[in-house]
Amino acid sequence: MDIIIGVLEQGLIYAIMAFGVYITYTILDFPDLTVDGSLPLGAAVSAVLITKGVNPYLSLLAALGCGAVAGFLTGFIHVKFKVRNLLASIIMMTALYSVNLHIAGKANLALFDFNTIFNSGIGALLPASLSRYHTLIIALVMVVIVKIALDLYLRTKSGYLLRAVGDNPVLVTSLAKNNGSVKILGLTIANALVALSGAILAQQQRFFEATMGIGAVVIGLATVIIGTNMFKNVRFIKSTTAVIIGSILYKGCVAGAIALGMNAIDLKLIMAILFLVILIVSRERKKKVKQNA
Amino acid sequence: MKKTGTIILCVLVLCGMLVGCGSGGGSGESYTIGINQFGDHASLDNCREGFLEGLRMEGIVEGENLTIEYQNAQFDSGTANLIAQSQVSNNVDLICAIATPSAQASYNAADGKDIPVVFTAVTDPVAAGLTGGNVTGTSDKLPVEAQLKLIRALMPEATKVGILYTLSEVNSESAIADYEALTPQYGFEIVTQGVSASGDIPLAMDSLISKVDVMTNLTDNTVVGSLSVLLDKANAKGVPIFGSEIEQVKLGCVAAEGIEYYQLGIQTGQMAAKVLKGQMTAEEIDYEIIKESSLYINEEVMADFGLELTPEYAERVNSVKNE
Repeated sequence: MDIIIGVLEQGLIYAIMAFGVYITYTILDFPDLTVDGSLPLGAAVSAVLITKGVNPYLSLLAALGCGAVAGFLTGFIHVKFKVRNLLASIIMMTALYSVNLHIAGKANLALFDFNTIFNSGIGALLPASLSRYHTLIIALVMVVIVKIALDLYLRTKSGYLLRAVGDNPVLVTSLAKNNGSVKILGLTIANALVALSGAILAQQQRFFEATMGIGAVVIGLATVIIGTNMFKNVRFIKSTTAVIIGSILYKGCVAGAIALGMNAIDLKLIMAILFLVILIVSRERKKKVKQNA
Repeated sequence: MKKTGTIILCVLVLCGMLVGCGSGGGSGESYTIGINQFGDHASLDNCREGFLEGLRMEGIVEGENLTIEYQNAQFDSGTANLIAQSQVSNNVDLICAIATPSAQASYNAADGKDIPVVFTAVTDPVAAGLTGGNVTGTSDKLPVEAQLKLIRALMPEATKVGILYTLSEVNSESAIADYEALTPQYGFEIVTQGVSASGDIPLAMDSLISKVDVMTNLTDNTVVGSLSVLLDKANAKGVPIFGSEIEQVKLGCVAAEGIEYYQLGIQTGQMAAKVLKGQMTAEEIDYEIIKESSLYINEEVMADFGLELTPEYAERVNSVKNE
């Protein structure tokens, strides 16, 4: 039972990161590797502030802000200096590695003796009888807040422009809007969410580790692709919901493989196969749609 | 048809998720231990083997009265977390966590669940937050002072000691702090050079090697993994490198006052046996370090550099051959 709770906790927390990847990869069509740096950035900022006695909830806002700056800079480098999108994000990811170590002061920062969002504030108000679900409940609340905010934002004018930049940049120009600024805005929001996810993750696992971001973008992409392709034809499920489900499924697969006693060496292979199966399944659908048309 | 694929996928994935909930914990005379190892690495593997040997010495033998659930996180802290949660979910009698991030993940997952965590290969348990609570274990803190004495005895003229380390390895940072605190007493000066990945090592090494008389290694995973690069460059400049454990001396380091991870594992296994048998709780046992360092020398390399052991060292030396 605990492992299911564990999967849900991690799945929900990583879902916030996956929202960021969803914005860059699916909406903006921008391969953003900044994620590998901005996830530990959020974790480092939050962990350091907590050890300095700052309220853990406030530390989330600080992480959000720092992530936004990182995303803004990636966008700025890409748009203003005309650096290719992939390269711009690699530059930021590389720089953030040093920045994160400077912020944290060391490569591993433990939070065992400090209050986190899971055991203070709202966390402390939850009934003690539900103690094993506290982390899950708070993670769920966080994800729901972010999801609703994101859904609402995507329906605003600015949100529509964001989607237009990925699908049809000419339209944006014809509306007398600057493609570049919209892209920068999208990256800013995306990396703010990724850093928020990192901050929550550090508080859940109760330590910051400099290497915790390695492969984050791959997890994010897997999550987004699993989620969005699985529910492509299910109208009533929003993309954001699909991303949350994708994230839980991804962590479920990892936990399932561990529970089955598979070697961690094979985990990535299993994920790759799952990836492929999903892509093939969704490709069949596309063909059908064409034939019917 | 179009939903069939989706449904099949969902079912497959859910099956995977549910499988973990079956097995129960051991009771009475037989035990189940979850081993949460951070990565594949000779030293960490030695820890695990020593751990099982330590348990065996106390009459707890795998296959007889002990079931081992061994999982390896491949250096990914997210996976280490899930492993820890999975082992807690299986209600193991004890978790053995190898290396710092795994120890932290296990401690976090087992918190409040009455499952003791016994860690090993954690350099600084205090900084890692692994003291107090249902947790104990062994630290692989380097015998820095013994190493400095050894270097001084072999190289009376040397003043500058170079250390190459990885910025993301917290163990290296705390070892360097120890070195910096002790070097003035022995008339040395420490010159450090950090790298962020193994790809940086050749250039970093070129820059460092021209500034130092001798080098000493930590247990830094990335640097040790590129030891052959270090040795090539250092040998070309005539600078000897001292190791921090037996495996490095085998590869061509001159000598080491090091710890033996197998021994560390045995010590950890014996602590775990005490906890399992209910003689003491993990909370009551303080974490331990290996007090006696072991001296290893590589005679071939010693001869190449024209170095000789002083009589007091010659008594307790373990010679190691090139591998």
